[in-house]
Amino acid sequence: MIVVRQKPLKEIVKAVAPYRRILLVGCNTCAAVSLAGGELEVDTLVQTLRLASSQEGTGSVFEGAVLQRQCEPEFIEKLEIDDCDALLSLGCGAGVALLADNVDIPVIPALDTMFIGSAKGLASWRAECSACGSCVLGETAGICPITRCAKGILNGPCGGVNDGMCELGDRECAWVLIHDRLAKLHREDEFETTHEPKDYSVKTKNPEWDAHARGGDR
Amino acid sequence: MSFRDVVESDEFIISSEVGPPKGIDVAEMLETAEQLRDRVHALNVTDNQAAVMRLSTLAACVHLKQHGFEPILQMTCRDRNRLALQSDLLGAASFGIDNVLSLTGDHVVVGDHPQAKAVFDVESVQLLEIIAELNAGKDMVGNELHGTPSFFPGAVVTPDANPLEPQLAKFDKKVRAGAKYFQTQAVYDPDAFKRFMEHARKHDVKVLAGIVVLRSAKMARFMNKHIPGVSVPKNVIDELQAASDGTQTGIEIAARFIRDVKDSCDGVHIMAVGAEHLVPAVLDAAGIGSVTQ
Amino acid sequence: MPIAVNTMDTHEDNNYFDENPDSTRVYSPCRLRCPVHVDVPGYVTAIAEGRFTDALEIILDRNPLPAVCGRICLRPCEDGCRRCNLDDPLAIAALKRSAADFGAYPIERPDAIRREKVAVVGSGPAGLTVAYDLAKFGFKVTLFEDKPKLGGMLRYGIPNYRLPDSALDKDIDYILSLGIEVKTDVRVGTDITLDELREQYNAVVITAGLQASRALPIPGADFGQVLAALPFLEAAASREPIAIGKRVVVVGGGNVAMDVARTARRLGATDVTLVCLESPEEMPASEHEVEEAQLEGITVNCSWGPREVVGNVGVVGLKVARCLSVFDADKRFAPTFDEREIKQFAADTVIFATGQGADVGDIGVELTPRGGIKADPDTLHTSIEDVYAAGDVVSGPTKVIDAIAAGHRASASVIRDLAGDASLLDDLNEEATTLGEVPELMQTKLEPRRRVQMERLEFYDAVRSFDEIEVGYTEYEAAREAQRCLGCTTGARLSREKCASCLTCIRVCPHQAPHMRMGGFLYFDPEACIACGACASQCPAQAITLEGHSEEEMSRRVEIALADAGPETILSFACAGTTELPYVRGDVRTLTVSCLLRASERLVLETLESGAKRVIFAGCAESTCRYPYARQLVHTRADKIRAALTELGMQDRFEVVGEVEEEDTVHLR
Repeated sequence: MIVVRQKPLKEIVKAVAPYRRILLVGCNTCAAVSLAGGELEVDTLVQTLRLASSQEGTGSVFEGAVLQRQCEPEFIEKLEIDDCDALLSLGCGAGVALLADNVDIPVIPALDTMFIGSAKGLASWRAECSACGSCVLGETAGICPITRCAKGILNGPCGGVNDGMCELGDRECAWVLIHDRLAKLHREDEFETTHEPKDYSVKTKNPEWDAHARGGDR
Repeated sequence: MSFRDVVESDEFIISSEVGPPKGIDVAEMLETAEQLRDRVHALNVTDNQAAVMRLSTLAACVHLKQHGFEPILQMTCRDRNRLALQSDLLGAASFGIDNVLSLTGDHVVVGDHPQAKAVFDVESVQLLEIIAELNAGKDMVGNELHGTPSFFPGAVVTPDANPLEPQLAKFDKKVRAGAKYFQTQAVYDPDAFKRFMEHARKHDVKVLAGIVVLRSAKMARFMNKHIPGVSVPKNVIDELQAASDGTQTGIEIAARFIRDVKDSCDGVHIMAVGAEHLVPAVLDAAGIGSVTQ
Repeated sequence: MPIAVNTMDTHEDNNYFDENPDSTRVYSPCRLRCPVHVDVPGYVTAIAEGRFTDALEIILDRNPLPAVCGRICLRPCEDGCRRCNLDDPLAIAALKRSAADFGAYPIERPDAIRREKVAVVGSGPAGLTVAYDLAKFGFKVTLFEDKPKLGGMLRYGIPNYRLPDSALDKDIDYILSLGIEVKTDVRVGTDITLDELREQYNAVVITAGLQASRALPIPGADFGQVLAALPFLEAAASREPIAIGKRVVVVGGGNVAMDVARTARRLGATDVTLVCLESPEEMPASEHEVEEAQLEGITVNCSWGPREVVGNVGVVGLKVARCLSVFDADKRFAPTFDEREIKQFAADTVIFATGQGADVGDIGVELTPRGGIKADPDTLHTSIEDVYAAGDVVSGPTKVIDAIAAGHRASASVIRDLAGDASLLDDLNEEATTLGEVPELMQTKLEPRRRVQMERLEFYDAVRSFDEIEVGYTEYEAAREAQRCLGCTTGARLSREKCASCLTCIRVCPHQAPHMRMGGFLYFDPEACIACGACASQCPAQAITLEGHSEEEMSRRVEIALADAGPETILSFACAGTTELPYVRGDVRTLTVSCLLRASERLVLETLESGAKRVIFAGCAESTCRYPYARQLVHTRADKIRAALTELGMQDRFEVVGEVEEEDTVHLR
């Protein structure tokens, strides 16, 4: 799932300052599951901005709405903008972008899109995938070297591994994990395979994807 | 004698390293190198070491070569993509700089430009393969080169890594990719080093034991805490702690280690970390005299 | 066919909330067992937060006699309480009494003004209920009563030490405030005939109860010092002088017999003996009545059948024979005796409390063989058109709460017939299901907490007068007792349209109430849910609601609390479970909640915007928490609020204050 988190409040307050009537738009898919952009967070942020506005005496008006998904035009069609002069989106980057495509007023992001990740439990996620477009997880026992290795290298570990931890100190070394899991799956010899340099052009050449396109795929 | 000649012979190999300046004034770097003239077979030139931006390793190597030194071009994958890596390699070779040390490189976030985009288009193993292809007269996508280089590639290894197995597997990959010599991360435990050498001797490569000249217990502890794969044993720290002259004791410890491992490896790579003037003293204490270059 | 891999268990479908939510009613077990289906979890939750008036209004919606029932109801609800196999059932009746004691009775107005007139005959619990229902509906109601005051058995049967007149009058005054016309000292059948009533009124409802005491046809039963239970109790209630001696024998094993015996004690009898056919296990009187009677010095002699009242000028004793069994194999009343075992209990007064009967022979409707009024069980029509009958006069002796239920049925029937509105009758006929026992997983997680004991007079004080024995809970005691409630059926409900399947509720709930079903839909197991609100407070889609709680309601309560707020007003959200809140200087308005999770981040910020200078979270402490894991969530939320306010430069406007040492006082609103 796309994991998002709210920007620092000061940044949001500053970004909406020039506007008079702001509609906050939540998203009930990834943003809600990330506990950052669902109806609860929309209501809370509306109230926070109202409080901030009343303190500054700006007189700005804030309202909230939630779309099922901000990355689908049909859901955006249902949005009633009336006389708002800006949207504050609590969706991921794709949501902000599509909203901006479909309205004639500025769309301000309230969230930062972090990564494609998996849930670790309540309210915490881990980055798992960088959407590189050419998945190698089958060779690395399900641990993405691009995402979970801080350097994104394909033959690891590097010299920075310290007691199984990455030299950055914030995560386990992905390549140690890959090695251990391959060993657990009795596939140790696969660890000896030298992986060739990645074809990064796959990502560059696929800014759009049409699942129904005829005559070839990538 | 070139570095390659020394490595391919049976002579005990000595190398050390210098760091380029953060600027264009190379005088100090050359002075440091001067202190090591005729004492080492080759000098590594670091490549934005610890992700701190410095004068390019290629340019520094050229300066050293022009002053009669034998440089080893350290090349990391952190700051350049595959085009730039090949380009800089060819540039080095065009100046007669053939000795290359292939490294993945420290991450940008630990350096002084932490907001930079880290490249890592390839890493040390893939870089060795690229070097092999250039040596064969083609770029990595198969185009013929106009003038073929003849690189002498080496790599690094951490004998005391934890966990060790993945490290050894990577060592094997580097050997298969063409590394001819290895400079190890600093080791202080001769037994750990010898254990590693048992594995290394399965391959026909030369191994230079890495040594950092410690100058105080505080420095030793710092290295333990912050440098991956380095573990200074307690007895060494105690020895430094008890010493009245830390530097002198450090020199003795380094020399002692060289004597301990001399027979199990092919050379030493001494890192003095800003105190290169101590290297000759270490060599003296270890009973290693001048080298012919 | 792909296997649906997103089930986390194989929980069976059942008829709970999310399948056809409107067609099958689910009541908490207490509510289901209550003959009038009072919303017990609703009023108990209100009391848990110190909102006695809200609680009272919830009770009055179904039961117009809360002060009465809170004291003397036989409380079938409590046997269903799901805490029964954890510790003690909730003191549901005592809490009802607290609502009546501390809540403000509302000012009632009829829902409409209608021209139809209805006569209600008999002002006991059934009659009072009918009068109330019909007056509320809008009919003009006249309540006929042959005694001097209203109340029937409530006043003239149940002694004041159990149900003081002041409590009864409180409920009666409330009922009468709807504008019911009262005609006391009027006996229908004698002073006015049924036909006359039918001319003047569109309908007549007879709720005359059982006013006749059955005497036993044994020799000596006609002696002067042989009294019947009901007239005896009536005289005592009316404070008329009664001539009884010092040695009283009471015949009977039911609650009336207990009332008689204990009344006799209070009227000066020093030696009161009770004799009954039944064995101790068979005695119809409630266990605690028997215990209290014995504490007051009354001797209970079981398994004896009266044979003769022995006497000459006055009564000297009661001769009894050993009763071997009371009921036969078909459970019919067919006592057998061993006439060889004879005993004589010395007495100067004998009082028979051996049964009641109807006294309605003079009214003119068709009677049953037993002398009660014959009425259709669904419509409560009697043999005469426009005449209805309900309560004990139809069914024989039941509990007060059953009489109230019968009253509701009669009213529903009258309303259907006179106004064409069958909704109330349909409502009464609707089925309901209930929950099973508390799952084992939860049993280990719920801390056992015994019932809060109610203060009562010591028996040696109690027998000296007719003063009420039970003192009633204090507000604090009531709230603490109410906080034991598991909130059965008031727990989380999910709106599927809004649910984002984020699984936060599953992760937050310690009782595994939310489950995943086929297709990734969530389902809440009402048997595992204790309505703590943790899931609802965390749900990012606000898809979970709890009964009786909403953001709008909280905003409304805040608005009320901040009325006339000044520049220094502080609003304190206080946990209802904490005994003593720390002292905070200034103009502090306290809003008591059953869990601080009820105060959302949005609410706190709104409170600051609408005029509070500061907001405080008070008393969220481990030692008093009903839901220990909720504290973690409260504190995480408090951190978020603090962080947001700090970014706005308002960090001094919010504070969390802890708990201080326990004292006797309590802060509840």
